[in-house]
Amino acid sequence: MLKLENVVAGYGRTRILHGLSLEVPRGGLVALLGGNGTGKSTCLKAIAGLVTPQDGTVALDGRVINDVAAEDRTAMGLSLVPQGKEIFGGMSVAENLMMGAYHRRRDKAGVAADLEGVYTRFPRLKERRRVLAGMLSGGERQMLSIGRALMSRPTMLLLDEPSAALAPRVVEEIAEAILSLRDLGLTLLLVEQNVGMALEVADYLYVIRGGRIAFERAVDDGVGMDELRDFYLSGAH
Amino acid sequence: MDLFLQYLANGVVVGSSYVLVAVGLTLIFGILHVVNFAHGEFYMLGGYAGITASTAFGLPLPASLAVVAAVSCLLGLGAEALLHRGLKNQDQTSSIIASFGLAVALQNAVMVTMGPQPELMHTELAYKAIELGPVFLPAPRALIPPAMLIIVGALFAALRWTWTGRSLRAMAQHETVARLCGVKVRRVAVITFMLGATLAGVAGFMMSAVYMVHPLVGNMIVLKAFIVVIIGGMGSPLGAAAAGLLLGVIESMTSAYLTNGLRDVVGFLLVIAVLLFRPQGLFGRSLERS
Ligand SMILES: Nc1ncnc2c1ncn2[C@@H]1O[C@H](COP(=O)(O)OP(=O)(O)O)[C@@H](O)[C@H]1O
Ligand SMILES: [Mg+2]
Repeated sequence: MLKLENVVAGYGRTRILHGLSLEVPRGGLVALLGGNGTGKSTCLKAIAGLVTPQDGTVALDGRVINDVAAEDRTAMGLSLVPQGKEIFGGMSVAENLMMGAYHRRRDKAGVAADLEGVYTRFPRLKERRRVLAGMLSGGERQMLSIGRALMSRPTMLLLDEPSAALAPRVVEEIAEAILSLRDLGLTLLLVEQNVGMALEVADYLYVIRGGRIAFERAVDDGVGMDELRDFYLSGAH
Repeated sequence: MDLFLQYLANGVVVGSSYVLVAVGLTLIFGILHVVNFAHGEFYMLGGYAGITASTAFGLPLPASLAVVAAVSCLLGLGAEALLHRGLKNQDQTSSIIASFGLAVALQNAVMVTMGPQPELMHTELAYKAIELGPVFLPAPRALIPPAMLIIVGALFAALRWTWTGRSLRAMAQHETVARLCGVKVRRVAVITFMLGATLAGVAGFMMSAVYMVHPLVGNMIVLKAFIVVIIGGMGSPLGAAAAGLLLGVIESMTSAYLTNGLRDVVGFLLVIAVLLFRPQGLFGRSLERS
């Protein structure tokens, strides 16, 4: 479904990804792990169109989308939940969710139905729908950010550290939400610092180091924590 | 007391024009982070477009208003291309300097085509007047505050309840997430500049029946608009609306009870006080929280 081949990307003259390749099959739940600052977010931004590869290709369903603007990738079914629980702090929870459906705003009935769908998935958001999003707790913000992404009716969801800085109980909730999305047929690419959570939900694993994929394996084939730790610790980038 | 009410009314009239100019200026700043020193020229050109349409071509006022809006939209389109799209990857200073350049270019273009002499719009309305108790206002003045309320009210309603309005606020609050939602920066920028230019152009049009318009009139207007934007809180449309009326009234009172020489100075004193004691503005509630 999604295929990155030898992607080189960065910011200005600084290169962060040095020929990264990975693949996410339709319906898969793939985790991308790696130490701090190794380029995980940059990789998701390259997929979402927020950074443009200097070399290599990003392809969705066999079509190279390097030249498609971020604004237009949403309509192609790609949706990014960015790192840091980014939301529109000065808008109500309901307005934030509506914004997620911006590209299909003419479909009034569909938007209203999807809004109810998100409220059913995250009842907390329904209770707080009139509250300014800036007033939400960390867990609620993360749910809102995921809800906003779902409002675009994605076929592929990119999640950047959804469990960061959340209480264990909330992490569990987010993990369950991710699994239920997979069960709905969504394709997911999950970036995580929380290796335990990633191993719990993902079916395939990539570890990034030095701007390239340094390790990959199907989770069913068994992945030792010690093995992974090596990649984190020995990993100068 | 009767005179006080008259001064108050005069202040509200002028203040209403400040509101129209400043709300657009603050939108352009709040949404696109462009500091537009050419904003006074939107006002000036609105005045000239209106005078040309109504006096030279004899169009009725509604048709003249449509001409002003059309000219303003074109101007907004051009200004966006120059100050925003053209300089998107430069730092903010570039757009500040470019907007100065645009202001001077527009002033000189008008100086050459229209001449330096000040002009006043003549309308039938000038012979009508409205009396509200002790307050006496010629019709061209009396129409300005209600027109402002309708325009600004419609704008705020659109910002709040339409998809386009929501996309403008989204862009002001978080550009990246707005883009991830499918909002196109370019579209928002063009709409914002067109809105700003039209608000200022309509103000210049209406005021051209009250005060003379000349090619350099934008210089003072843009300074007033910046005063209003700072007092109201940078990027806050509601704050700009409140501060615009406030400045108009304070100027009118200063000129009436102190001396007319202080009229154009009092706003700057106010800005200094605001920057010292309440730098977020008196009514600071920017687009980021509206
Ligand atoms: N907007 C940016 N401009 C310049 N450098 C950046 C930017 N964002 C991230 N970087 C740098 O790119 C590197 C990789 O960042 P990132 O992809 O966010 O890492 P990760 O998500 O794996 O922690 C880091 O060294 C970071 O400092
Ligand atoms: Mg990151």
